[in-house]
Amino acid sequence: MKNTIRQVFHSPKFVIGFVIFFGILLLSIIYPLVHPGDPLESVFIGSDRGSFTPPGTYFSLYDAASSFRTNLNPKSKTAADRATISISDEQRVRMITWLTAMEVSLDGVDTTDDAALLEIWKANYDESAKPKGMTKSERNACKRLNSDLNSSGKESPLKVASEDESVKIKDIDPMNYVPVNQVRSVIRLPLGTDNFGRDVLKELVSAIGTSLLIGLVAGVIATLIGLVFGLLSGYVGGLVDDIIMFITNIFTVIPSFILLILINYSIGQEARGAMVVAVVIGLTSWTWTTRSVRSQVISLRNRDHVNLSKLSGHSLFRIVMTDILPYIASYVVMAFILQISSAILSEAQLSLLGLGPSTTKTATLGLMMNWAMLYSAHLGGSWWAYFPVIGVIALISFSLNLMNTGLDQVFNPTLRD
Amino acid sequence: MSDVMLEVKNLTTKYVTRFHEDVYAVDHVSLKIERGKSLGIAGESGCGKSTLALSLMGYYFPPLHYMSGDIIIDGKNISGMDPDKVRRTVLGTEIAYIPQAAMNALNPTRKIRKFIEDVILAHDPKVSKKDIYELAQNRFAELGLPVEALDKHAVELSGGMKQRVVIAISTILRPKVLIADEPSSALDVTSQKMVIKMLRDMMDKGMIQAMIFITHELPLLYNVTDDIMVMYAGQIVERGSAKEMVFDPVHPYSRGLMNSILVPEEGTRSVKLTAIPGTPPNLKNPPAGCRFAERCRYAKPECRYNQMPIIDFAPGRTYRCGTSVEELRELYRKEDEMNAAEASSDTGAADGPVRLTKGV
Amino acid sequence: MKGYRKYFGKKILWFFITLVVAVILNFILPRLMPADPVAAITGKMAQGVTDASTTKEIYERFQKVFGTDKPIVVQFFIFVKNALRGDFGFSFSQYPRTVSDIIGNAIPWTLALQLPAIIIGWLLGNLLGALAAYIRKGFDKVLMPLSMFFSAIPAFGMAVILLVLFAVRWKIAPVNGGYDIGMIPTFSWNFVKSVIAHYQLPFWSIVLVSIGGQAIGMRSMSIYELNADYVKYSRFLGISDRKIVGYVFRNAMLPQITGLALSIGTMMGGALVAEIVFSYPGLGSTMYKAVTSADYPLISATTLIITIMVLLSTFFLDIIYGFIDPRVKAAQFD
Repeated sequence: MKNTIRQVFHSPKFVIGFVIFFGILLLSIIYPLVHPGDPLESVFIGSDRGSFTPPGTYFSLYDAASSFRTNLNPKSKTAADRATISISDEQRVRMITWLTAMEVSLDGVDTTDDAALLEIWKANYDESAKPKGMTKSERNACKRLNSDLNSSGKESPLKVASEDESVKIKDIDPMNYVPVNQVRSVIRLPLGTDNFGRDVLKELVSAIGTSLLIGLVAGVIATLIGLVFGLLSGYVGGLVDDIIMFITNIFTVIPSFILLILINYSIGQEARGAMVVAVVIGLTSWTWTTRSVRSQVISLRNRDHVNLSKLSGHSLFRIVMTDILPYIASYVVMAFILQISSAILSEAQLSLLGLGPSTTKTATLGLMMNWAMLYSAHLGGSWWAYFPVIGVIALISFSLNLMNTGLDQVFNPTLRD
Repeated sequence: MSDVMLEVKNLTTKYVTRFHEDVYAVDHVSLKIERGKSLGIAGESGCGKSTLALSLMGYYFPPLHYMSGDIIIDGKNISGMDPDKVRRTVLGTEIAYIPQAAMNALNPTRKIRKFIEDVILAHDPKVSKKDIYELAQNRFAELGLPVEALDKHAVELSGGMKQRVVIAISTILRPKVLIADEPSSALDVTSQKMVIKMLRDMMDKGMIQAMIFITHELPLLYNVTDDIMVMYAGQIVERGSAKEMVFDPVHPYSRGLMNSILVPEEGTRSVKLTAIPGTPPNLKNPPAGCRFAERCRYAKPECRYNQMPIIDFAPGRTYRCGTSVEELRELYRKEDEMNAAEASSDTGAADGPVRLTKGV
Repeated sequence: MKGYRKYFGKKILWFFITLVVAVILNFILPRLMPADPVAAITGKMAQGVTDASTTKEIYERFQKVFGTDKPIVVQFFIFVKNALRGDFGFSFSQYPRTVSDIIGNAIPWTLALQLPAIIIGWLLGNLLGALAAYIRKGFDKVLMPLSMFFSAIPAFGMAVILLVLFAVRWKIAPVNGGYDIGMIPTFSWNFVKSVIAHYQLPFWSIVLVSIGGQAIGMRSMSIYELNADYVKYSRFLGISDRKIVGYVFRNAMLPQITGLALSIGTMMGGALVAEIVFSYPGLGSTMYKAVTSADYPLISATTLIITIMVLLSTFFLDIIYGFIDPRVKAAQFD
């Protein structure tokens, strides 16, 4: 046993898979300890951004203004940063639209060059002009755009006043900096927020935990059923074998995701918790394990040590436990690993169909994906809401598959290369 | 046209294992076979006899590598030739091979006829498929094989039929030398007999000029081949005619090998069946002296570090040992006498050693 | 011939048994559950109706539509009879369209998308796997981990990644749908062009996902075949390496057909979910719409049709395999 484990850990494939998988597992355990709190709680309530806050460090403007200020006076950084105006795509389109409408020639001008475009804009923009085919609201938008462009780069100090007149008015100089750690309220969002204003990283870590649990529960159920059926079918043989194989063959061909859809739909919204989904997945995916265990048991059934045990009058249970199970343990472990990975994928696919765990209290990887898709994160460029989820699902199944291949190479020497 | 069909001089080949270790499974092997003669090679499994069979083909692919030596077939030296030239002009036409596991030697998804086409077209792309089919039909008929087998897949043939089809395919281009590596070991007795008869017939009809027959079943060699050669740990330890090798082995290993099996033939003396103690040396790291010294009951201390040369001691007979032939024969005579005395004193003992006595 | 007849007979029998079981499950699973679908539907349809007798009337009407007022065995035969005629009733969410009309429109899209994508993914995967097994060394070292990673990305994930990169960021492919929204399906050149443009991303996301798994399977199968005795024997007969590689590729690829038959259900499941990402007008999106709008008749019919599609493709793959691999015939004689 010890020797087998040592051998397994000499397989580079297994080790890489193991490290990735347990890294993810540890993250899902340790992160909530470091950052406690409800993962599904909104960080921003009714924020004007509405949805999908990008990743970043957010600090309260109020606290920043009232915080201790240091006049750092960085040589030219601030001025230079402010002088170079970066034009957003939206602004660029608006500028070009206005200029073309006013029949300003843009020949030979690189409109992707911010400075060049700005120069032409400043030279030609006229607030009172009424370009053809432009509505009043569009003209107003241009006006706002112009004042935005003009205001940036100006360096007059701002004044901050309070409604309470006893508080003195503060001047904020362009050269004033505040150390972030001295601002009282700072929210760090390494992966931004989702559409409901929840911290994606926190949500993701909690979803990893739930999804792994779903994988584990489904995997245990599927492996147990598969093991019992496989042992019975392979060892007892005869009619039992015929019946079990009949059922197994049918359920191998009937696609399990169809069964999942039918069962999950029928269970209904209210009853469909994460664990119920896990159990259903486990109940529909045991056929592979049954087949693999059965074929292993059949090849073992007539080996000398099993026959010896039979002749010695050992009970069926004892023969199975001591003469069969230890020999097929490696296959069972491999089947178990694959079950975990396919269960996590099944949950994700079900959730995307809207048939995943219907819960507002826990997140799963599939639900996060579903939420991101429902609010079109992928069309709005909010990569942080879906990309980490896809990445984590891929990494989990990649690591599990690697572990499985590693084990396969250790236990099936013919596959070694 | 010389009378020597196959001459091998100091052939050395090696295996490279997965862990990049060199295993010299064929170590300075020399042998000669004349036209119309057959040679049997015997030895324990792992002694290098199968590797020798592969090495004799002159066509090497990993993990087997050619090191040194010459293979001369009918006066033509094929070692050092371009591998692709060997493939096109030597394999199948000069020298052919019958594999150990003929059960799986045929591509399971290709019809026998198509496979024969592949073989012939590989040597001469201009032959028409019709001619090939005719040739194959004639050859199958000549060898007593059912012609219908040509239109079947290998999986549809029985084990014995598969082996005979393999022999027919191997010799389709009338090779001068045929190397058969345990062609009958996996077969039942009837099929075995048919295979042996087929090989003998081919020799008699001159379809092949010379044959090397490799097996671990010595009695078979006695019936099939003219000469027998014994291999141990990648080296040849003794060679002689079949009869001499069975009834008068000189090398202690040959004697051990003969004593460990029954030879159910005329002239059998009282034989005590004994196994040779110990296991062959690891060829990754062969011993400096005689490779058999470790297991040899007649070994002297110097055997362990003296390289043993191969010695001709009678016409057509060679051996590799540090002790003289006379001395060895004297030792064997004494041993046999002792065994005979022991045998007469406790005849009928229930658990005595197995005996085979003449005239019983 | 006896071997073939036995093999095909067995396969046809299995096809019918699994079909019957699938139909029974499709019928019975939703009815086994405690919830009363008719009550749920009535609740949905009768929203805002306060009059109890009207509600009861609606309930009874739907009971009749579904036949739930009859014994379950009778219900089953009505279900089968209607299904055989292609009559699955009306859709709730897209009333007054019939379910068979909706599904009939979706099937060609799904078939045209998934059939070529799965076949091409399978072929490319096998080609790469065989190359990896034959070339080994560097190619293998790079290709295998890559294949493993690609096969780990779920189909919907690949769909989202391709969509974001090609449609949203680089804008070289349309974002969603099967054709431009303003168009009416006709056989005009513009329409075909639009269909082809919309086809690319869903197609490649399915292909890319299936390549990895197939390549890994084909590689180990090829390595196994390369070490087979017939390879060594063929070499010693002077047959060229190129020809032998042909043998190996063919022999390793044939069992991959069975592999495809066994995994086609899972592959189609993934591909259907990928359809949702692109709002592709196939069965996947139909099912999604049905689920989100609790359109019970539509869900029931979609799952049944998908099951039949999977069963049929498994059946055909088995038949093809039986014809082209002589090993099957031999195995039937045992």
